Amino acid sequence: MTPWVHIPQLLSAGITIGAIYALVGLGFVTIARASQIINFAQGEFVMLGGVITFSLLKGAGLSYPLAAIVAVISVVIIGFLLHILVVYPLRKTSIPILLIATLGASIFISNTTALVFGTLPKALPSFSGNLPLLIWGVPITPQSMWVLGATFLLLICLYLLSHRTLMGKAMEASSTDPLGADLSGISRNLMVFLAFGVSAGMGAIAGIFITPIFYTSYHTGTLIGLKGFVAAVLGGWGKNSGAILGGFVLGVVESLSVAFIPSGYKDAVAFVILLLILHFRPKGILGSPFIDSRRW
Amino acid sequence: MVVIDHKEFRKRDFLYVVPFWLLSLIVPDPHLDHLRKESRFRRRDLFYLGALLLLPLIWSDKHLHHLMVLAGINGILALGLSLFLGYAGQISLGHAAFFGIGAYTTAILTTRYAFPPFVAFWASALVAAALAYLIGSPILKLKGYFLALATLGFGEIFLVVVREAHRLTGGVIGIFGIPWFSLAGFAFDTYLKQYYLIWGVLIGLLIFSKNLIRSKIGRAFLAVAASEDAASTVGIKVAQIKLGAFVIGGAFAGFAGSLFACVMSTANPEAFGLNLSILIIMMVILGGMGNLYGPIAGAIFLTWLMDILGKYQEYSLPIYGLILILLLISFPDGFGTRLNIRLIYLISYFGRKKRRERVEL
Repeated sequence: MTPWVHIPQLLSAGITIGAIYALVGLGFVTIARASQIINFAQGEFVMLGGVITFSLLKGAGLSYPLAAIVAVISVVIIGFLLHILVVYPLRKTSIPILLIATLGASIFISNTTALVFGTLPKALPSFSGNLPLLIWGVPITPQSMWVLGATFLLLICLYLLSHRTLMGKAMEASSTDPLGADLSGISRNLMVFLAFGVSAGMGAIAGIFITPIFYTSYHTGTLIGLKGFVAAVLGGWGKNSGAILGGFVLGVVESLSVAFIPSGYKDAVAFVILLLILHFRPKGILGSPFIDSRRW
Repeated sequence: MVVIDHKEFRKRDFLYVVPFWLLSLIVPDPHLDHLRKESRFRRRDLFYLGALLLLPLIWSDKHLHHLMVLAGINGILALGLSLFLGYAGQISLGHAAFFGIGAYTTAILTTRYAFPPFVAFWASALVAAALAYLIGSPILKLKGYFLALATLGFGEIFLVVVREAHRLTGGVIGIFGIPWFSLAGFAFDTYLKQYYLIWGVLIGLLIFSKNLIRSKIGRAFLAVAASEDAASTVGIKVAQIKLGAFVIGGAFAGFAGSLFACVMSTANPEAFGLNLSILIIMMVILGGMGNLYGPIAGAIFLTWLMDILGKYQEYSLPIYGLILILLLISFPDGFGTRLNIRLIYLISYFGRKKRRERVEL
């Protein structure tokens, strides 16, 4: 049997996972647009979103939407705490220290989750049944449609936030011209604080949408976070549209690779793409507003 | 005779002055090192050497010997990364991959092809350095977070390849039965012998690094870390210098990996993940950037800490993450710097004002 038979199926799976990478990548970009900090604990927000919703749904017996809302709010609070307790005290130090601090926070969050919620993998029920829809003969689960819809909706919200509100413009100003932002009376620390909240919320939403499709366990966050970052770099670092495009490209390529190479090597595909894109076009597909400036 | 001004210095201050003074013997001081006359061998080195030679003889605890063996291996890793991160100012999150490459080279050469460990030791460093050269030449044009991400990607690719290439590496299970390190018929088969072997190698590499950073190349490392543009205007080939630091770091990691494989007699992929890379960077940060003794002190400290945390079973990793963050917040530029600044203030009460003037705080 030739691998070509599976292509449509893999393509739809790739688009679904690509939407998740795009959401995670957007989280990275939101923080980077406000402060040029990269938060390597982003993947843990995704994991926390799924795990907290699961435990509220099964343990506390809340209804599905209520559990999801409570989970998103608690993850946003964790994002705020991450900024207050880790990033804010270290804001004036060098890149390696911030890098290791956020990685340390990631170790702390994932292993504390294992302690509190247990190490078993968790799977939420689908939002609207498991009966696959047939689109041009390709079976697509309703959950995939939910993921795509949520990505689209969040992208619109993020666009409105950064282009139509004063807060979004202030966030962007504090990154592109820190001195100018200070002079116009923008509190840069507050903007970074808010950006951490927004990015944590988006991570949590991604986690809730992904958990019915893939099992979520305490250690799955790190890899999803890294791949989301790869997606953001692939599409064009610092651009919302870049993160979206990069996410879909990465998801599709990674999913299609299963047809041609042993499936164990699937996790390496993202990083091979990363090394190639960083070597040949560090700006990413759509170009990046940050790369040309000498700070990177 | 030291005159103590009783108004400024009370008797109870001895309580913390004495521990601080003892710490100053152990903890290196990056602020003072470059101002002192550069001599190849200082009195403090003799103190370290004597302590190292005598420590296992005085304290004949098997567990301590094993811990110091691991600390020595981590020290070699931290020393290599110190040249790359501390001196040349570049970030690498894939250092554990070179460590793993060293370990697997030794494991494959000794168990499959019956090479003597001594030959495998040098081959490991060569293979690791060659891979560092191949990986480094495309990715070292990146800076900051992007370099970190690229090296992290390399580390992840290494792990995936090791897990999947069953025929070569034994997959997730790894390779067993690597022989002890032996040299001319003398096998290093106890922890005590391994202790002297590994710290001997570490001292050799330390002398190499000390000479390297006092050479033209070492000065170029510092220049590249300070400003790549300024370095290139004075004729330093920035790309070559960064690649050189990366390759030397990789070779050090290869040595360490080879010794690790011989000491543990196994090689499996769990030991070479991202967590080890984080730990090595942590050693360099805690030891102080731009400093050779510091990373080794950091390696001893963190190895000891990890051993203690290991007793707490499932609580060990959350505590580890917490301690990592707390250490970074309280000592962002290394133990040595902070402690020495406090120490200098205290010592200056004894009338040694000259030391205070030398430090620009």
